[in-house]
Amino acid sequence: MTATLRSSLLLMLGSLVVALALTFLPLPPWAAIARPALFPATILFWVLHQPHRVGVLAAWFAGLLLDAGYTTPLGQHALALALAAFIVFKMRDLLWTLPLIQQGVALLPALIAYAFTLFWIDGINGRQVDLWWRWLPVLSTAVVWPLWSLILERFALVEVDS
Amino acid sequence: MRGLDEDDNRLFLRGPPPSARIILVLVVSVVLMIVDHSRDDLSPVRAGLATVIQPVQSLAEMPYDLADTVSAYLDRGQLAARNESLERRVLLMERRLQKLASLQAENERIRGLLASSQSLREEVLIAEIMSLSPDPYRHHVKLNKGTLDGVFEGQALVDANGIMGQVTEANPMGATAIMITDANHGIPVEFNRTGLQTIAQGTGQSDTLLLPFLPSNADVQEGDLLVSSGLGGRYPPGYPVARVRRISHEAGNEFLTIAADPIAKLNRGREVLLVWRNQDDANADDATAADGEADGKVSAPDAAATDDVDATPEEQ
Repeated sequence: MTATLRSSLLLMLGSLVVALALTFLPLPPWAAIARPALFPATILFWVLHQPHRVGVLAAWFAGLLLDAGYTTPLGQHALALALAAFIVFKMRDLLWTLPLIQQGVALLPALIAYAFTLFWIDGINGRQVDLWWRWLPVLSTAVVWPLWSLILERFALVEVDS
Repeated sequence: MRGLDEDDNRLFLRGPPPSARIILVLVVSVVLMIVDHSRDDLSPVRAGLATVIQPVQSLAEMPYDLADTVSAYLDRGQLAARNESLERRVLLMERRLQKLASLQAENERIRGLLASSQSLREEVLIAEIMSLSPDPYRHHVKLNKGTLDGVFEGQALVDANGIMGQVTEANPMGATAIMITDANHGIPVEFNRTGLQTIAQGTGQSDTLLLPFLPSNADVQEGDLLVSSGLGGRYPPGYPVARVRRISHEAGNEFLTIAADPIAKLNRGREVLLVWRNQDDANADDATAADGEADGKVSAPDAAATDDVDATPEEQ
């Protein structure tokens, strides 16, 4: 039992490190504006599947890391991610019953809340936020969600088997 | 739809319910952001977090670094060509430097006559850009030199052509710098031709600066060179910043709308220069930082003058 617990914690951390690395992977600007928010998606995946381990507070701390990486005001991504985690937590009964592709769509409220919080705080800081393509990552994340979930679930399964 | 309200579902949860947590998190986040925005107290926290994710960021950069190294090995011909062109440039630069030595001597004599405390002596350190900001709306870069090399917050960053930005965060092993084109950045500048002072603001687009505070009767021409004025004490004076691209005036508007092209090559190249000002009136820790780090640092007594002199013949 403890071994499974520890290894699944490793898996969790591993998936987060991979997602974070993909977040920082240099991309040309046209691709960067639509880059899926994989790190938040991974946090939300674990909130959905291990709600007793990863919750609002864990999501908040993870968001602080994003703030450091993006050099945004400390607390901006943290708040946005905590809010998204809260929504997913509240919606998890519904999300559990859905197949992965529909899960991606059902996640949109959480993703929109995440993006909107970011825009809002950027707006308070005097940045231009009324560009429609700033919403592209929301869509791309919803599109990528089924695939990313599948990969993570496969890994989780492998781990349970061994 | 569901049997249990999550907030009461104690099978899963320890500690306060999620709705209490989200309120807590909300309050803490807002306080954090306000403190972070208005004061510098949080920079150790930020530095700590940055150190945690530093390895992951390096990991993300690795494929590109590897590709660079491999292509450098494979492409000998290109390397030779580059070497040749660099040697040619060094030759040109050295010629300019010769001329400059006499100009600088003259300048210092004249400054001496004026009993001015200002000296042009500056030191520079070559740093490498490790990564650009992953957020396409923020113009930040990460550098591979940190406080261990004497880098400090507010330090100016230049390239071979002009001012690029300033350091906003310095960790022991690295630093983050904001570019002059970031929407949250403004730099005090003066017109090289007239000496008119103003502020050049970033726009969030890497090819445009705006000069929003010039009255409609100001003496401004397209092609005017803007150099840093040194007001505010952040940037060393006399470095090229931008060149005026377009001037327009909307009827009824008190100010001109002026767009300018940054002169530094903000999107290209990996090497940048960090500048230390060894002014007599510079504050003490700046001076010690510069003195303590002699190795690897090139003395550039006339970097400012170089750029000025460069700019003039190119205009003709």
